[in-house]
Amino acid sequence: MLFFSFFKTLVDHEVTIELKNDLSIRGTLKSVDQFLNIKLDEIQVVDEVKYPHLSAVKNVFIRGSVVRYVHLPANAVDTALLEDATRREAAAQANKAK
Amino acid sequence: MSFFGFDTTLPRDRAAHAHPNQAPGFSQQRDAFAGLSGNEKAEEDGYDFEDTYDGLGNELDEGDDEFNDETFGGGSAAAPGKDFDFFGSTAKVANAINEEQLLYARGPKKPTQHAPPSQHQERQAKAPSYAAATKPKPQPALKHQIPTEIPELKPEMSLWATTSPEAPAKNLSAHAQLHFRHIENQEPPAQPNFAQQAPPAAAPATRRYKSLEEVEAEILAKKQAKLAAAQQPPQPQLPLPTQLNQQDGWPGRPVQGFPQHPQMAMQQPPLQQMELPFPPRAMPPPQQNQRPPQNDRTPEHLQRGPMPQPGGQLPFPQIPPNQQFQNNNMPFPMGMVPPQGPQGPQGPQPPFVGMPPMQPQIMQMTEEERVKFLEEESKRLKRNHKIAQLSRYNGLMTPSDKNFITRIQLQQLVSVNEDSFNEDFYYQVYMAIRARNNPQQPLNQFAQTYLGQQGARGGRARRQDNHLLRMQQQVQRAVAAAKARPKASQLVLEGSLGKISFSNVKTPKPLLSIKKQDSAGLVEPGQKPAHAFAGIDRRSILAAAEDIYRCLLDLDSHERKHPGPSLTGQQPDANTIQWFEARDALIAKLWRSMRIMEPIKEEPNALHPFIAILSVKKAKEAIPRVFRYIDLQQRITILTMITISLDQVDVIKDGRYPPDTLSLSNETKKKIEGFSQYVLPPLLSYVGDAQLDVITGLLGILLDRVNVLLLSQTQIGLAFLTMFTSRAEIIKQAGQADDQAVLKWTQTYDRLFEILEDHLLDIFPPHGAQVDDMYVWQFLASMAVGANMHQQQKMVSAVKDRVNDNVQASKTLPQEMGQHKLANTNLFLRALGLDIDLLLS
Repeated sequence: MLFFSFFKTLVDHEVTIELKNDLSIRGTLKSVDQFLNIKLDEIQVVDEVKYPHLSAVKNVFIRGSVVRYVHLPANAVDTALLEDATRREAAAQANKAK
Repeated sequence: MSFFGFDTTLPRDRAAHAHPNQAPGFSQQRDAFAGLSGNEKAEEDGYDFEDTYDGLGNELDEGDDEFNDETFGGGSAAAPGKDFDFFGSTAKVANAINEEQLLYARGPKKPTQHAPPSQHQERQAKAPSYAAATKPKPQPALKHQIPTEIPELKPEMSLWATTSPEAPAKNLSAHAQLHFRHIENQEPPAQPNFAQQAPPAAAPATRRYKSLEEVEAEILAKKQAKLAAAQQPPQPQLPLPTQLNQQDGWPGRPVQGFPQHPQMAMQQPPLQQMELPFPPRAMPPPQQNQRPPQNDRTPEHLQRGPMPQPGGQLPFPQIPPNQQFQNNNMPFPMGMVPPQGPQGPQGPQPPFVGMPPMQPQIMQMTEEERVKFLEEESKRLKRNHKIAQLSRYNGLMTPSDKNFITRIQLQQLVSVNEDSFNEDFYYQVYMAIRARNNPQQPLNQFAQTYLGQQGARGGRARRQDNHLLRMQQQVQRAVAAAKARPKASQLVLEGSLGKISFSNVKTPKPLLSIKKQDSAGLVEPGQKPAHAFAGIDRRSILAAAEDIYRCLLDLDSHERKHPGPSLTGQQPDANTIQWFEARDALIAKLWRSMRIMEPIKEEPNALHPFIAILSVKKAKEAIPRVFRYIDLQQRITILTMITISLDQVDVIKDGRYPPDTLSLSNETKKKIEGFSQYVLPPLLSYVGDAQLDVITGLLGILLDRVNVLLLSQTQIGLAFLTMFTSRAEIIKQAGQADDQAVLKWTQTYDRLFEILEDHLLDIFPPHGAQVDDMYVWQFLASMAVGANMHQQQKMVSAVKDRVNDNVQASKTLPQEMGQHKLANTNLFLRALGLDIDLLLS
């Protein structure tokens, strides 16, 4: 749930999603669910010349499992808080495993 | 060769009448690609149509087609024979079939009275013609009906017919269709009765449940039926009892389908929306319509009058949620414009369907009232229209769909409710922090949001929250009940190493969790490090730093459970006391985790655990958070610990410029930055409140135990010295300390000065180093303020060159950097009572 929780804070920020098929899409994150499916708005394919068929697409829904990387806007990430959240998550996992 | 004795030889072979050499025989495989080679000239001709056509088509009789229509019932609307009953034909007259039901129900008692012509007649001309066309032979169409069901499908005419003030003028004719329309178009006030009267019996066969509206409508209908029965006792023919029975029996068989022929149900086009606004259920036998006694009618009308009146009191639209695309059968309450496309049979609908009957009322109103009334009315109609349009989507979701979504929402609600800080920590806190940064939100509200749920209790938007809260409680109860039921979340296969956990909303991906070996020696995570911390290897240092964080997180989450200010008064309740006890225990644990109380080892190079931990960045970052929880005594302990081991702290140890280098390593620079960003401010804030004797004591220890000369050559070391001297000076000048303390301080200060006075130039970073030397000037300034005349002279003479250098350099440097350098230097000069402008001029 950490990533879900994290991505929820990035809603309405511009992110770049790199897919496993090497397609990179930049757009405004509209929503994310617990499968980390992603909804993007006002998208733009990074290498537009290579994928002209996507130049008319305005918004996409990306299945979470096909995402390779998400490029984050650095100023929208609270690293200290993220560290804390990670510690909590780790602690919760440790408790669960016991 | 041929079984039937035909001559199967190909035309080209006929001449030879012998098996040709190149043709495939029975024994040899035919070469499928032989044609491609182009060797076989004969094959290229292929088959000739004339050769293979048997010519039978020529023998067909093409004449006498003119009777086809008669035979097959084509194009023209010629009346089919008595024995002709194709479904297609019936479907075409689906309209009329409804008619026929009525007619059939009336049977021989069919009245002869006919509808007087009305302005609506043209519109309906089509339907009567159908009726007329089919009337003589109702049998074929009704073959598919279950005749006994039909009476039950008719609306109870006595109930609505009599409400119309124009009823006598309108006919109670046998022509039901006309009648319906008259009522539909001219007597809208009567429609609420329909709505009550006619539960959507004609719902599709798929419907299962009745909505609340339907049930209400039924109850009302029953009541009215009983009323009618009471008011019209002398009506032996009225099959009211059976009707009531049927209505009573209705709930018992809600699943019962629409007793109409399926084909008809399908064939009823949406065009009929207006023509059949209500199902033909509960239609009484015609006698009732024919003879509603005049004297009966009036009281009934009066009695009924207030109910359907325009105010919109009817809890409105009786649109059963699962009435699927069956608007044509749906009752439209008064004034409601049914969803109707422009292609509707009646053309554009006048905006106020419900208006005409209100005319008398309007007439009596003043102009102003009328305008207002009309406005309200149009508003209401618009709303109704909207609702009616939306009702198109009624029943799109099956109950199980809704159930499913409700479950998801429930889960979401509960997870937000219950576990939000565990499961959704980052989001929740991030949003809270952002809300704080939003200047519109006051800080204390942030504290409440951040620290926990008592914000809701605290009364923000209490009214709104109230029902939400109640709902949440209900949901929680529901979930608790669900949880009480044992539910397997994991599957442990016999003999397997791990267990398979099923996915749920929180962990959508099932995890294979491996059972951990229960090692006996394992201690509680919080307890372990106190003993386990043996060496100062990086791994144990990091582990110890994590321990601090673990305690901090525990404390944070405990803080969120703060019971809030007690409502009863000063006396803290048991809850609060318990909370504080737990908090104290957690703080003690945190204190232990810092390992600050471990004895200082006497060996020269032994590093104290706390100082060792402090060398990692995350431990430095934890210091401000630790300071939030610990008390004054503990703060001074930390300050003392750092002070006496200052020469061991990494930022001091590595903070000196090695000879012949102009800059420190990047790593050290970062460490220094981190130290001054995270550790110094809390210390500074503590020192800012400390008494003079504390400062004197600390500086004394520092001078006793630490090589101050070394210290003075590092940025952090100077910062500590600056911190002490400036604070002491502030106390002195404010007169907050007695002479005794001041004297002690002056002695300590003198000692410090003695050590440093010959090395004042060494405290500067090496000449040419690209660093900001402000901290040096700050230190010099703080020293100069406390120095006596003699000491000041020494200082000036020591750093005079440096000051001149800076002044010169500032002239060659770009404006901004020059100004900065001058300002730094001026810090010192000002402390001496001078100003840089004197040097510049």
